[in-house]
Amino acid sequence: MARIPLRRDAMTREGATLDVPLVELVDRLLNRGVVLTGELTISVAGVDLIYLGLSVVVSSVDTIRRAGAEV
Amino acid sequence: MTLLLRAIVAPDDAAAGDDLGLATVSAVAVAALASPWDKARIAGEPELLDHHRIIQSVFERVPCLPARFGSVFPDEDALHSRLAEREVDFASQLARLGHRCELAITCAWRDKGVNSPVSIVPASSGRAYLERGLQRTRSDREREVRAEAIVARLLSELATEPSFVRHRTCPRPAVAVSMSALVTRDEIGGISSRLERLGAQLPDVTIVVQGPWAPYTFAVSE
Repeated sequence: MARIPLRRDAMTREGATLDVPLVELVDRLLNRGVVLTGELTISVAGVDLIYLGLSVVVSSVDTIRRAGAEV
Repeated sequence: MTLLLRAIVAPDDAAAGDDLGLATVSAVAVAALASPWDKARIAGEPELLDHHRIIQSVFERVPCLPARFGSVFPDEDALHSRLAEREVDFASQLARLGHRCELAITCAWRDKGVNSPVSIVPASSGRAYLERGLQRTRSDREREVRAEAIVARLLSELATEPSFVRHRTCPRPAVAVSMSALVTRDEIGGISSRLERLGAQLPDVTIVVQGPWAPYTFAVSE
């Protein structure tokens, strides 16, 4: 089972342009759907980088909302 | 050739991904559709959205189970081995879910104030600090209660089997309810209309309906 490195900087930067509906989609892409193993496929040293990446995106979205952007 | 799993389909539907550049790895009861993947490639938002685009293209043609992004296999043999272990379960899920779609229903708070971060201004005293925390806790509880009430309204409008709906309340500061509904395509129009009417009755949230998508939330792995 291989692992995909995550472009975390890109997620952070591009996440700033995401809105709430897109976060809903990203959540499904990263956290739902079938997997063929019981283990996380994107991880380093036991830390799920994809999950961390999503958290960054979500954080960015909420920052945008606080700044007054439309949902 | 390294492969990134995209979706699971019935063996007879495996050709659905041919013009999408997808490789097919077949077991007896199901087949996996996967893309060639450079194992040195670093994934980001474009790759995530491309994953969704490919799954949707397959889903528009044939019933499928969407794969969670990130399952990479060193070669077809490795993918086949994993697929063969799970094919009975996947075939069962395909029969149950394959013809249904997922609607993503998001209720976002209209009030920007609910997203206010915890103040970084130091409290003037310990009492002030604790009172601020108490106020925050009360506000969170009020929002949670309100979100549960909204869920009840949504479920009433959806009027579907409970097992066809999943939801979370207040998953993030901006969101009151994040709900997934498993529906048939001919139900979508009616549901959208009812939710639009409901949205007009709820002054504190904006309802956003997305889909139909492949059944991400309902396709599960043990």
